[in-house]
Amino acid sequence: MGKTAYKRLKGSQNFRQRLLLATLSSTPILIDDIRTEETWPGLQKHEVSFLRLLERISDDCAVEINETGTKLKYKPGTVMGGKHIVHDCGVNRSIGYFLEPLLVLGLFGKKPLTIRLKGITNDSKDSSVDTFRSTTLHILKRFGVPSEGLDLKIESRGVPPNGGGEVVLSVPIVQSLMAVNWTDEGMVKRIRGVSFSARVSSQFENSMIHAARGIFNRLLPDVHIFTDHKSGQQAGNSPGYGISLVAETTSGCFISADTAVSYSRAEETTEFADDEKKDLMPPGDIGEQIASVLLGEIEQGGVVDSTHQGLLFLLCALCPSDFSKVRVGKLSQYGIDTLRNIWDFLGLKFDIKPDPNTGTVILRCIGSGMKNLSRKVS
Amino acid sequence: AERTNSKKSPSLMQLVYGKSILNSASANKDSSEDEESDEDDFFKPKEEVEKKRVSEGLGGGNVNTDDCSKSPNFVDLKCWEEKDLIENIRDRFVTGDWSKAALRNQASE
Repeated sequence: MGKTAYKRLKGSQNFRQRLLLATLSSTPILIDDIRTEETWPGLQKHEVSFLRLLERISDDCAVEINETGTKLKYKPGTVMGGKHIVHDCGVNRSIGYFLEPLLVLGLFGKKPLTIRLKGITNDSKDSSVDTFRSTTLHILKRFGVPSEGLDLKIESRGVPPNGGGEVVLSVPIVQSLMAVNWTDEGMVKRIRGVSFSARVSSQFENSMIHAARGIFNRLLPDVHIFTDHKSGQQAGNSPGYGISLVAETTSGCFISADTAVSYSRAEETTEFADDEKKDLMPPGDIGEQIASVLLGEIEQGGVVDSTHQGLLFLLCALCPSDFSKVRVGKLSQYGIDTLRNIWDFLGLKFDIKPDPNTGTVILRCIGSGMKNLSRKVS
Repeated sequence: AERTNSKKSPSLMQLVYGKSILNSASANKDSSEDEESDEDDFFKPKEEVEKKRVSEGLGGGNVNTDDCSKSPNFVDLKCWEEKDLIENIRDRFVTGDWSKAALRNQASE
């Protein structure tokens, strides 16, 4: 075999997205300088776990990591998909970290993907699995992903530090996505949500819901937050509670916000020794806080919330060579990074214009013409 | 994380792509390097690395920022109990003024 030409990148930034785009565009990449100057240099556990996951769902992909983990070579293979795959996500980052790239990757596989993911279902850093159910999957449907075969089942909850949660994700395959003209934000017609409690009293949920409702009361009567109290096996290995909210608009947009609290991970406590004895934030404050975050997202405008900007841009870029137009609120840092990565890997530039009347941003692009080449032709 | 205010920066295109073009150009120029050469710069004074980084146009920017799609927006939370704030977003709800909301969507078309 001839020498592979690697695209050279630096650092651990945008790790998942780089690997995702490398896979979709069949670009071998070489990343060096991964945390070379830090106390714990090299790839971290969750990043290695993500690489293992990529290996598991694809054929012919090659991953090489140097001894210190500061340098990585990745040669993408064919995404195979398949059933009965199990992956342990570890407890460094939550399942949401893995779901984000996996959802997009699964669409361009050879066979539909069904995978069981184990680890942390809810934390404050990544989107919760509830948000994926209530919001993320709807965004995919907007781009022509069939709703049959697109599902996320939460079998048990798990919060940091010890996780123990389990979800089953199913992603159908597509031939190609459908470009969107999605600028109508609509008006918020109802707010839904789920609260959960694991290994703590279910009374915590009532306090969170009560506080959240209090904020929405003056705006909208149609607020319903479901409870999901887990105990025993289904509650995972650590105590915690949290809440995920979603605002649905008249034009079919979903704006989400979520959080969870639990005792911090062992790794973090070594860095910030003070945190160890810190009490958890009371449920009432959590409810109030997350309701405020949601209102903040609604105030910003846009057809998706700030967390989903990256996914939105990615899907636009992976569309056939059709014209897409979307509206978002302020560009988030992750959204900007996504736009840069898309430019870097697919050579695709968005036309970005502010809409001064509403304080939103309108983005337009012509899809890269991505087709699912690994799909079996019957 | 920093957010960008769309009203203050007219050229969003530049903000997003300006720096990235520089980066990708320097990142692409060499794509096949041997393993041996790596052993040489295994131990390198920190200053030298820093200097190299600056010369490559990467600035002092951290290339190891956390990979996280959720922005920590808990910092600048507003107190939504206040009446004025509530009035500001009332028209984004079906309980508000529908004609104003329609105007909002029209403006950009």
